[in-house]
Amino acid sequence: MENTILQQSQDQHQEAEIIPENFSETISDSVFKRFFLEVSSLIFFTLRFFKEVFKPPYEFNELMKQSYLIGYKSLPLTGITAFIVGLVLTIESRPTLANFGAESWLPAMVAISIVREMGPAITALIFAGKVGSGIGAELASMNVTEQIDAMQVSGTNPFKYLVVTRVLSATLMLPLLVIFADVIGLFGSLVGVNLRGSVSTHLFFSQVFQSLVFKDLFPAVIKTFFFGFAIGVIGCYKGYNSNKGTEGVGKAANSAVVFASLMVFLIDMIAVQITSLFQN
Amino acid sequence: MKKDTSYKIKLGIFVSFGIALFIAGIYFIGEKQQLFRSTFHLSGVFRDVAGLQAGNNVRLSGINVGTVEDISIVSDSSIRVEILVDESIRKFIKKDAVASIGSEGLMGNKIIIINPGTGGKMEIENNDIVQTIQPINLDDILVSFKTTIDNTSNMTSYLSKITGNVQSGKGTIGRLLMDQSLAQNFDSSIVNLKHGSEGLRNLMDSAKSSFTQNFDSTFVNLKEGSAGFKILVDKAKKSWLLWGF
Repeated sequence: MENTILQQSQDQHQEAEIIPENFSETISDSVFKRFFLEVSSLIFFTLRFFKEVFKPPYEFNELMKQSYLIGYKSLPLTGITAFIVGLVLTIESRPTLANFGAESWLPAMVAISIVREMGPAITALIFAGKVGSGIGAELASMNVTEQIDAMQVSGTNPFKYLVVTRVLSATLMLPLLVIFADVIGLFGSLVGVNLRGSVSTHLFFSQVFQSLVFKDLFPAVIKTFFFGFAIGVIGCYKGYNSNKGTEGVGKAANSAVVFASLMVFLIDMIAVQITSLFQN
Repeated sequence: MKKDTSYKIKLGIFVSFGIALFIAGIYFIGEKQQLFRSTFHLSGVFRDVAGLQAGNNVRLSGINVGTVEDISIVSDSSIRVEILVDESIRKFIKKDAVASIGSEGLMGNKIIIINPGTGGKMEIENNDIVQTIQPINLDDILVSFKTTIDNTSNMTSYLSKITGNVQSGKGTIGRLLMDQSLAQNFDSSIVNLKHGSEGLRNLMDSAKSSFTQNFDSTFVNLKEGSAGFKILVDKAKKSWLLWGF
């Protein structure tokens, strides 16, 4: 027994000699370690959100103000984007369908594309760009100027006031923006269809609603809640945990957009898998 | 304070309008799927549904009047299709209505087509089972087409053999078409026939002239004989031996 332990300790000693001396320093600075640290911090941040969201007092006024800023103020940008997406998608799809002599399927095809994927994904990306960076920069600058610390000292819960309201607003407003974007995108498609043909509004929307089913609409709307939540949480996390210093603000805003956009695609991929699982 | 109210009103309008659009979307999609109309159930049993799916349209005289609600296998050779049809259409569908499975286009979705039935019959009722016509399966058409192609292939190969034989002078038609001696024989036969017919004509001409002459003289003799006979009869009439007759 003693011999075995001695042998093991000798083996470990030999292994330690092979590993370079500065190994622990290398791993501490490695991308992987930082990544996993970031992920675990984000998970704790999200858990703290769920802990705080149900705990009174509720900041309704701030929630409404943030909803106004995040939702209402984003409508023009997402609306214009959706209109252009609908228009371009229709114009680009026409030649392919015309090759099959299936131009009459254009409204149906564009409607399914917009409602299922283009509307939610494009709106979420625009939302991540505008709102994610806005939240990240705002909270980071508050962090840099020590306003968050000041709130804590004054007895206000900064997490509840700043983070919970913004995440909730983003979660609730993005689905509404997506619904608007879907409708505006369909009007863009109507314009696109009528650029080279003549389809009445009534016929267009009749074909659109003929082709759509609840299986197209509901999963698409439900996943936007997750998009909004992810964008809100990542924006707040990046801003709340930014470095002290002016460059921290820019970095927080930038990484919030990048990470939020990536999360949108990841959630989208998972949502598609889950949806197809239930449809088959 | 005024600003506070202003943004709240804008937010209220934004949220209300968004929710209204969502509800309108649900309504219009549901309307197309007959969710908000009163409907009645029909069912039909098919041997093969040819790719029909739940949610496909049901058409009557080219108008969408319902949707396929459910498809279930009853046995290995019968599939039950449940359909939902708009209640307002019920008066047009009779008891002897027939359902068949069609297609929206060459590459389109499958649909149920209802033939409404004859006018004098009773209206169809809720949960009735309609008669069905088995759909024409594309695979069946292809199998039939393949058989035709195989037959055509066999025919062309036989035809090729026959033409080969004909070309090499085998068989009756081959000899007829390709054998030159036959043609020469035929030619000489025709010449002989021509000569024979000429001889026959001459024979006939000579026979005709001798026959007419003989016939003519026969008639002259007959005429003279009948005149002599007449004289004889006249004399006999005057004789006493034949008085009383």
